[in-house]
Amino acid sequence: MSEIKNIIKGCLAGDRRDQELLYRRHASKLYAVCLQYSGNDEEARDTLQEGFIKIFENLSHYKYEGSFEGWMRRITVNTALEKFRCRHNLYRVDDIDLIREQDADPDNHDYAGLEANDLLGIIRELPPKYRMVFNLYAIEGYSHKEISKMVNISEGTSKSNLSRARVILQRRVGSYTGIKKSVVNG
Amino acid sequence: MDERGANIDLLFRNGLKDYEVLPPPEVWENIHPAIKVKTNAFIFIRAAALIGLVVTLSFLAYRWSREISIGHDSTITAFDIEAASPAFFPSYISLNTITVKERIPDILFNKSLFEDIPENTILSDNDKNSIPEIANFNGKNILTINRVSLQHGPVKSFEILTIDQQYVPEISPVKSTERWSIAAMASPTYYSSFNSGRDGLSKQLMASETPLVSYSGGVAVSYKINKRFSIQTGLYYSSLGQEVDGVSSFSGFKQYNNTKGNHNFEVLTTSGSIYAHNPDVFLIADGPGERILTTITNDVFDPKKANLQPINSTLLQNFSYLELPIVMKYKFIDKTIDFNLIGGISYGLLVNNSAYARVGGSKYPVGNTEGLNPITLSSSIGMGMEYNISNKLSLNFEPTFRYYLNPFNEVTGSKFHPYSLGVFSGLSYKF
Repeated sequence: MSEIKNIIKGCLAGDRRDQELLYRRHASKLYAVCLQYSGNDEEARDTLQEGFIKIFENLSHYKYEGSFEGWMRRITVNTALEKFRCRHNLYRVDDIDLIREQDADPDNHDYAGLEANDLLGIIRELPPKYRMVFNLYAIEGYSHKEISKMVNISEGTSKSNLSRARVILQRRVGSYTGIKKSVVNG
Repeated sequence: MDERGANIDLLFRNGLKDYEVLPPPEVWENIHPAIKVKTNAFIFIRAAALIGLVVTLSFLAYRWSREISIGHDSTITAFDIEAASPAFFPSYISLNTITVKERIPDILFNKSLFEDIPENTILSDNDKNSIPEIANFNGKNILTINRVSLQHGPVKSFEILTIDQQYVPEISPVKSTERWSIAAMASPTYYSSFNSGRDGLSKQLMASETPLVSYSGGVAVSYKINKRFSIQTGLYYSSLGQEVDGVSSFSGFKQYNNTKGNHNFEVLTTSGSIYAHNPDVFLIADGPGERILTTITNDVFDPKKANLQPINSTLLQNFSYLELPIVMKYKFIDKTIDFNLIGGISYGLLVNNSAYARVGGSKYPVGNTEGLNPITLSSSIGMGMEYNISNKLSLNFEPTFRYYLNPFNEVTGSKFHPYSLGVFSGLSYKF
């Protein structure tokens, strides 16, 4: 903790080396978060960039209470959320494909063998609203009430979006593991 | 469904928990210029200390100049009681023969000076001649005191009654009234940087770098606003640099260089990272540390086994700037030798940036320092001395301290703020 304190102090003093050190240490993890919240790489890069600028600008507000990584993650997620709020009017979630996905009956699949990269790929295929609600609920641990305020939707919509997201994810995980198994079995 | 939902949540939560993806390098390149660099308080403390030092030096110079003027200028200020009294009335003089003639000006003297002088003591011409100080003054066209009266009372006063006609104040050379002047100035420059870094890498970088003796020179034009103030600008060329120890360079790497990209090595320095653009050069740190960033390390490629030719174990960085100073001068002593307080700012335009190794007497190009600020802003403070050779020509001597307000390179950290100390000298011509 003392090391990160020194780095933070250096960043606050405007020390570029410490700023770069902070970035290098945490960028990979936060970029994974950004990818998880973004539909494409460009959006993820923008989110990471804006998120880190906010992190540096708000470092003086960090009180050394709780995990610093968690604090940075929250800022990154909030940045992704802001970008989502700006763009969500552009997205349509009731795609025909999705409705078809809803009708699919998810089976109990063997999830073993799925790697993080596969999971990220699957989650990024979700429509933005479903992806956002699923991430906030299942990964970050927010309640539907909190999500409804954050995303500016009703609690019911949040629940509904989560449910649809889960269905799609189960379906795709199933297909993915099936494909993987068939590849392995030849 | 709820259970399956919880399972899928767990699957993603756990699966992505420690997942990391390396972001593309351009993300940081976009972030770092956007972060505001905070000015450190210590900069102001140092600046204040420096100003204090210059003011103190100026005051001492002023006092020194006053003492010189008493000895040589023969002006009425010689009767300033504090300065003149030791010359006229040393303790061993018997002040009992002062002759009194007619009264001209009254000068009230310090009471303490004459406390020991008996009432109505007179100083004769003979006594004056016997006092070496006065005799010397006479020899230099100093006034002769013919009549002096001393009065005891609530305030003891010393009155100069007559000043001989032989007293003619020495007139210093007539100074030019021209407002413009042009000067050619040059200076050797000592260059270094302030560092408040605490981490090991900063200390390692600083310890291995030695400033090169640099130089600066150019033409300055100044305009005299009034008797005291003048403004000066000009165009200077400054070359500065440093030696970076502990980095061995080898030539002949080109045949083994199969990597893509425009450089294979990055050498961290306090002025920024040197990118080795020369594909033929192989660099390796002499000791442990994070100084060189490369994928071609000694464990994957040994330059000695590959028979690469060693060049040097020191790299040299050189930066050249065209500088446009805007300087105010305040003349606080206006004598044969003028003293000026100098302060201002200077914009520097980067015109050359190179990194090289030295082979014998020649340079082996390595690359350049990446990300240098193309424009620098520096503040300068100094004290100028100007000796008037003639009405038109004067000799200038200006010790100047310059502090770079922005670091040369945004990447390496604001704690490396360069500064330079130079002693500019040259000739100026008034017109």
